[in-house]
Amino acid sequence: MKDILFRDILPRVSKPARYSGGEYNMIAKDWDGAGARMVFAFPDVYEIGMSHLGGRILYSVVNEHSRHLMERSFAPWPDMEACLRERGLPLYALESFRPVKDFEVVGFSLQYELSISNVLNMLDLSGITVLAARRGEDEPLVVAGGPVAFNPEPFVDFFDAFMIGDGEEQILQFLDCVEACRGRGREETLLALAQLEGVYVPSFYCAEYNPDGTLKSFAPTRAEAPARVRRALLRDLDGAHYPLRPIVPYLEITHDRAVLEVMRGCYRGCRFCHAGMVYRPVRRRGLDTLRAQAAAQLAGSGYEEISLSSLSALDHPHIEELIKGLVCDYAAQGIGVSLPSSRVDALNVELANQVQKVRKTTLTLAPEAGSQWLRNVINKNLDTEQIHQAAEAAFSSGWSSLKLYFMFGLPYETEADLEGMVQLLEELRDIGRRHSRRPVELKASVAGFVPKAHTPFQWEAQNSREQLEAKKKIVLSRRLKSVKISFHDSPTSVLEGVIARGDRRLGAAIYRAWQKGCKFDGWSEYFNFGRWQEAMAECGLDPAFYNERQRGENELFPWDFVDSGINKEFLWREKQRAAAGQVSPDCREHCMACGMKQCFGESVCAKEGLADEAAR
Amino acid sequence: MKLRGEYRVDSELRFLGNFDMMHLMERSLRRGRIPFALTEGFNPHIRLSMGTVLPVGLYGRHEYFDLDLAVPMAPEELVAQLNRALPPALQLWRAVVLPERHLSLMQGINAAAYAFELEAAPEELRQLGERILKSAELIVASRGKKKNQVKDLRPGIYGYEARGRELLLWVSVNEPLNVRYDELLEMLQLQGVMPAQIKNYYREGNYVRVGERFFTPMEKLS
Repeated sequence: MKDILFRDILPRVSKPARYSGGEYNMIAKDWDGAGARMVFAFPDVYEIGMSHLGGRILYSVVNEHSRHLMERSFAPWPDMEACLRERGLPLYALESFRPVKDFEVVGFSLQYELSISNVLNMLDLSGITVLAARRGEDEPLVVAGGPVAFNPEPFVDFFDAFMIGDGEEQILQFLDCVEACRGRGREETLLALAQLEGVYVPSFYCAEYNPDGTLKSFAPTRAEAPARVRRALLRDLDGAHYPLRPIVPYLEITHDRAVLEVMRGCYRGCRFCHAGMVYRPVRRRGLDTLRAQAAAQLAGSGYEEISLSSLSALDHPHIEELIKGLVCDYAAQGIGVSLPSSRVDALNVELANQVQKVRKTTLTLAPEAGSQWLRNVINKNLDTEQIHQAAEAAFSSGWSSLKLYFMFGLPYETEADLEGMVQLLEELRDIGRRHSRRPVELKASVAGFVPKAHTPFQWEAQNSREQLEAKKKIVLSRRLKSVKISFHDSPTSVLEGVIARGDRRLGAAIYRAWQKGCKFDGWSEYFNFGRWQEAMAECGLDPAFYNERQRGENELFPWDFVDSGINKEFLWREKQRAAAGQVSPDCREHCMACGMKQCFGESVCAKEGLADEAAR
Repeated sequence: MKLRGEYRVDSELRFLGNFDMMHLMERSLRRGRIPFALTEGFNPHIRLSMGTVLPVGLYGRHEYFDLDLAVPMAPEELVAQLNRALPPALQLWRAVVLPERHLSLMQGINAAAYAFELEAAPEELRQLGERILKSAELIVASRGKKKNQVKDLRPGIYGYEARGRELLLWVSVNEPLNVRYDELLEMLQLQGVMPAQIKNYYREGNYVRVGERFFTPMEKLS
């Protein structure tokens, strides 16, 4: 396989180093001596997949901490796919060049709803039966994890099992179980897996629908399968395994640097944020641990840059000390520190100044919504004054360009809020003109809001394509000098919305869309909305049912059986507070009783110094 | 203090581009805790000059870099320490200290040798080599920057050697003519070599040609 690849295939494709493996710190375990054999499959190109921290963690946990084996495979770019198909070669894993089909478990990481078409394509390219129900006894178990797996229902046709929650907490148990069940047959293995925390085996559940199309009931068909699947939870992040010798790719990847995961979860309860809800509670690493992990990773990789990754890394109680320490320890070696960009306030601009002492280009701020009212609705605890101060601090300390993230199509949004966005941009530009010595530039990136499962906005209607286009026109009609506004593609948001709150019936449409040639749907050059619309129509599905419908308080949702730890009552309370424009405090100030403590015990929050519920 | 390193790149790494190779070397220097010197300015980087660049698809037996050190280090020590941090498919042969006034790799290198492993008898290889040298012109499609043009490789071919199953061609680099390996592949086919006969190819080395003599960059330092 390897010889044919290197001689006949790789010289003909773009970026051949995506497919040649052998990177520094790659772990190629002995096949025969290994326990369970799994391939981590990422349904996007190498450069994206290798940038993903979760994959690095799982790879390291399995290969360095167990007898099991994990290799990697990524979606081949269409030129490579064509070469493989032409020669009749299967998709293979980069460590051993063995066909993906030879592994016992093929685990897909679902980071984004639209990557599902690539999953189907990769299965097909591997020679694995795409539909789980038709898969043979000797075929691999096809599983999925990642944030999208918190609503697994649209994808159940293609997977034998899902792993929901913190992967490093469950992966070894999962593989132990697979190994222990060898020779016992598929069904028996799946029954054993269904009893592990965080594992969902969809074939053991049955969904019934009401005449109006909403879900009537959802229940297990086997006594061994739990009625609700509780996510796996990693309780101690500080003590958790972390990859200190990350694979160093030969070609430049999207996030080509060492990474520190300073926290998991977020204090802030923004109501639109899926990750902020499903990765509760906040768990953080201590300063000493982070410093040691930085030192070990840099020594083991030779990376020239280290970044802090987390939903809101700047909320870490020792963030300032950490960043200053890293700059001080590594600047002399030419190693840079890069900051995440999510929070806006003057203090963080000060930190950004520390990091980028000389060359100041673009600083990123994320107000998310243009008006104060709408920021209250989404619970982005940030006032106009703070945004102004941040911009003033940035421009007066030498930054000349600001990048701003906004959303549009938010619940309760009116024309006034869109005007507010334009006005805010105008104000920030003027602040820039007053405080910067150089000409200033603002770049606003505006994404269509997609309501997600397990968030307070899971009941809300998503804006239709027409509504989004009309709103876009309102904003673009106000031409501002020195301000560039770019909008995300609205059909992409529509499809993402349909799948994000979809149910089992969507599987047929996904299958059909793939048959029609859909792949790389997350890439605008390949996304073909027309094909998806046809596929849904042919399957008798109305996209508007999934995303343009306002759902009732008591509607049973397809994802309700997934116990993220957060209860539905909390989400409903938050939805009502949103409608009233009422903000909720963050977990450090006040406990809003989201349900994590009920689900996992008082200690899950107390250990991290979060506010006590009793204090309310 | 400046050192020159001589290294090999194995077939496994032949799909790396120019920047990939530079990143690989820089990261290995960091992993190996080599006391390299940094440039001054906004965005400090390692004072490393990758004097020879392997095009994507080609590997090489003798490639070179020059490196500035902030703290002196014995060449043997650099080789040992850096080799431990480099992947097995890229390893240093040796290193030498450069004199104060030296010829940079860019200035010095003006010739290269490419090896083509062919399915042919040694006698046939010699005949092929002679035929190439006796040709008045060797016209191929130009690769690289001047696409859509033809070029005559003949003035850029200095000599050949039949070595086992390999035909080595010594060619000009940059001046008077830049001869690329893919142009040589086309030329061989125009000389009657069937594509299936070409089993392997790589760059044997880079040279400083003075008069009729070829020196390696390790021999010709100034």
